[in-house]
Amino acid sequence: MATSNADVLQGTLDLLILKALSLEPMHGWGVAQRIQQISRDVLQVNQGSLYPALRRLEDRGWIAARWGTSEHNRRARYYRLTSTGRAQLRQETESWERFMLAVQRVLRAQPA
Amino acid sequence: MSLRTRIATRWRALFARRREDQELEEELRFHVDMEVAARLRAGMTPAAARRTTLRDFGGLERYKEECRDARGISLLDAGAADLRGALRALRKSPAFTGVVVLTLALGIGATTAIFTVVNAVLLRPLAYADPGRLVMVWENDRNSGTTREPASVPDYFDFRARSHVFSHLAALQPRALSFTPPAPGADAVQLSAAAVTKDFLATVGIAPRLGRGFRPDEDVPGAPAVALISERLWHSRFASAPDIIGRRIRLGDSSYSVLGVLPDRIELPEMPPGFGSLQQDVDVWLPLAATPVSSPRERHDVIVVARLRAGVAPAAAQREMAALAATLEVQYPRENRARGVFVESLPASLVRGIRPALAALLAASALVLLIACANAANLLLARTVAHRREVAVRLALGAGMRRLAQQLFAESFLLSVAAAALGIGIAALGLRALLALAPRNIPRLADVSMDPRVLGVALGIAVLVSMTFGLLPLFLARTLDVQDALRAGSGRSGSAAPAQQRFRNGLVVAEIALSVVLVIGAGLLIRSVWSLRGVDPGFQSDRLLRVQYQLPASRYPQSMAAFPHFPELSGFHRELIRRVEAIPGVVSASLSANGPLEAGFTNSFVIVGREAEAEHQAEIYIRSVSPSYFPTAGVALRRGRLLSDQDDATAPAVLLINESGARRYFPDGNAVGQQLRFWGQARRIVGVVADEKFEGPGAETPPAVYPPLWQVPFATVSLLVRTHADPMAVLPQVRAAVRNLDPQVALYGVTTMDEALSQSIGKQRFTMRLLGAFALLALVLAMIGVHGTLSYAVTQRSREMGIRMALGAQRGAVRRLIVRQGMRLSFLGIAAGLVGALAATRLLRTLLYGLTSTDLVTYAVVTSVIAIVSALASFLPARHATRIDPAITLRTE
Repeated sequence: MATSNADVLQGTLDLLILKALSLEPMHGWGVAQRIQQISRDVLQVNQGSLYPALRRLEDRGWIAARWGTSEHNRRARYYRLTSTGRAQLRQETESWERFMLAVQRVLRAQPA
Repeated sequence: MSLRTRIATRWRALFARRREDQELEEELRFHVDMEVAARLRAGMTPAAARRTTLRDFGGLERYKEECRDARGISLLDAGAADLRGALRALRKSPAFTGVVVLTLALGIGATTAIFTVVNAVLLRPLAYADPGRLVMVWENDRNSGTTREPASVPDYFDFRARSHVFSHLAALQPRALSFTPPAPGADAVQLSAAAVTKDFLATVGIAPRLGRGFRPDEDVPGAPAVALISERLWHSRFASAPDIIGRRIRLGDSSYSVLGVLPDRIELPEMPPGFGSLQQDVDVWLPLAATPVSSPRERHDVIVVARLRAGVAPAAAQREMAALAATLEVQYPRENRARGVFVESLPASLVRGIRPALAALLAASALVLLIACANAANLLLARTVAHRREVAVRLALGAGMRRLAQQLFAESFLLSVAAAALGIGIAALGLRALLALAPRNIPRLADVSMDPRVLGVALGIAVLVSMTFGLLPLFLARTLDVQDALRAGSGRSGSAAPAQQRFRNGLVVAEIALSVVLVIGAGLLIRSVWSLRGVDPGFQSDRLLRVQYQLPASRYPQSMAAFPHFPELSGFHRELIRRVEAIPGVVSASLSANGPLEAGFTNSFVIVGREAEAEHQAEIYIRSVSPSYFPTAGVALRRGRLLSDQDDATAPAVLLINESGARRYFPDGNAVGQQLRFWGQARRIVGVVADEKFEGPGAETPPAVYPPLWQVPFATVSLLVRTHADPMAVLPQVRAAVRNLDPQVALYGVTTMDEALSQSIGKQRFTMRLLGAFALLALVLAMIGVHGTLSYAVTQRSREMGIRMALGAQRGAVRRLIVRQGMRLSFLGIAAGLVGALAATRLLRTLLYGLTSTDLVTYAVVTSVIAIVSALASFLPARHATRIDPAITLRTE
């Protein structure tokens, strides 16, 4: 694996899952793939954190799951964003952007 | 997330775990398959794709666990894991587990056994409807200081007519009846019977099982003979015949028509002394057939039961009845002199005699349980401390305090459950022993059983116990310094944290204190029972047989007009004495209306020539006896002469007085020659006899007179037989003598007087034995505590001991060091226990005889016993300390 790959930080994983599911409902493997794809293989989702995170989000009511059939005609558990999840995503996105901005400002600071 | 989904999720987490797990597994397998497929597409060989995927994935089990955690771990799951862990841990140390379980089981068993009795005797509801509104309406007598006396029939009718606080009133009179069973050739048996007014059943709120109760027209003089029988009698003598209603049964000398069958559990309070004897449950109920003039107002021969009108407080009833009694006293100054009324709750009245003893025993068993808890806590604590390194490691690795608490709790929970199971077994066994020891006069004891309530209480106790002693060590674990414990290397060398040692010492002090309380309580009772046994009863109880019989009025007429000339009655009595005295092995025989230890009845009287004093004079006991009573019972003559067979119905009326009466009424010593008048006849005192303790060995003998049975005849009598050897050996011949004279006469109340004497202090003996057993148990437990704590301390300090001995300390000095530590604890415990005993033993006050609850001797003896025993308990670990080999101890460190 490339050393530039980063394991997704706990906390941001929730945000990324919500975002991925906001695109379309999908199963767990799909979520991991989608995050990896979009980040151009920079972000690797550790399966070990993925499923507990899915359970946690489901528990909080931000995503909902149901059993469906995959493209290869296998039973798979599909997750979709709920309306509270959508609101949560919006809120977390905002706070993440605020955070990014703050970090950028600090990093770009010039010696006075 | 809404509350509903939250609950649903938790519910799933708790109970749908299997399905949840399966789903997760399927989901993870799908993920793995997708990943493998992706890697195949990327050009890996199938084997490599699978291998690397699984490697990257890690263990499936781990994810499941983490997912469960993310879900919110279920308490039940963790609990189950903890329980499994605890079970493993406990199995690893069977000695520890055994001692703790046994200790707790003894405590739980003792408490459960006593509670079973308390439940049956004090708590189980009465069969009566709304028993809280039932009261006894006793009369009392200010001159005699009595509180619970029967009422007179005319008073009863006045209560009915003139009171407003009761919805129902009924009168009851105990009777004894011989019953001839329907089986051919069956011997007559004596039954306990009661004559009641027509509204008795309505008053107590009991419906017949079969048939009906008395109609008003059946409760009048001259009505046809009808009876109700108990379910017990119906079962045992009539094989539960469904056609019992309307059958005629033979009671005494007459035949009665059965109207109905009553349930067995009609419980009545202990009758006033000498007032009939409802010692057993009533089997036959008859109509009283009383009228306001059927019995004189000075004859107190009915007890009155009443139901309070709804909303009337007992105190209000007491006020109204006291006022009514005062009115009657004015109206009938002679008959109702000094008479009052005492309204007492019927349920309270039922258990009045036994409540203090049971309360004391329940308290004692609770103390045993507390000691057991302290002991278990102490042992568990010692273990926790011994495992402190393990605990510290777990804490360091991030185990939460809560997890630790759960684990400790799981251990104590398991221990308590095991102890509860064993304890209930011990209780069942103990209960059997307890019932065998119990005096017969404890009401409702026949119904003692371990019902669901008892088991519930036992389990409740176990849970409480596990909370108590399970959480104590936790409380202390909080003081555990992780770094310190880890640094301590082997984990054994450091001494326990001072807070813990202090706490453990505190537990031991508490155990000793509690056992001091119990041992002092037991000591006081033991001394009381010894004093009671040492009391001279005033008669000689050995080799003395007593049987009772009653002659039916039909064949032995007792018409008041002929009194005291009842030739058939005295003929039978005299002939029986003659025949019994002829039996080989019999020294002498006598008859008396009341035998030794039977109080009999009292009557008002006047001293001829001192009539004015009668106004404030207590009633006197009248004990009618055959002249042979005194030599047979062994009651000594003090002055004058005894009665003789010449003192019969035709001779001048005479009587003897006991010393107590002679002292009270003739303090100048001139009793002989004086005359007493009662029942319309002046009777000359011809002698003074010794006091026999007829109210029980613990009570002062009240004044009594002994008229000859031939002048004051009775149909219900006690036959006393003094023998050369075992009194029971002559019983068959005595039975034969009675049967030969009259086959219809039933014998009952058969006992040796030794047995009767020991029964008379049965309550004290029963309490003493149980309390003694509890005290012994408490002492043993406390000493296990002392021994355990010191042994542990010795182990903890083995390094110190090793160094001391290496530096030349004498074995004696080391021993003294440990013993001194033990004795300090025991003296603290004894001091606290003495203070506790001063307060707690007041519970025993009513059971003590010849000493007070602060008896110095008992306190002193108990103090030294406990000091000696704890010295012994300390000595064993101390000896162990001196066996420590310095070389070994120091090297292993």
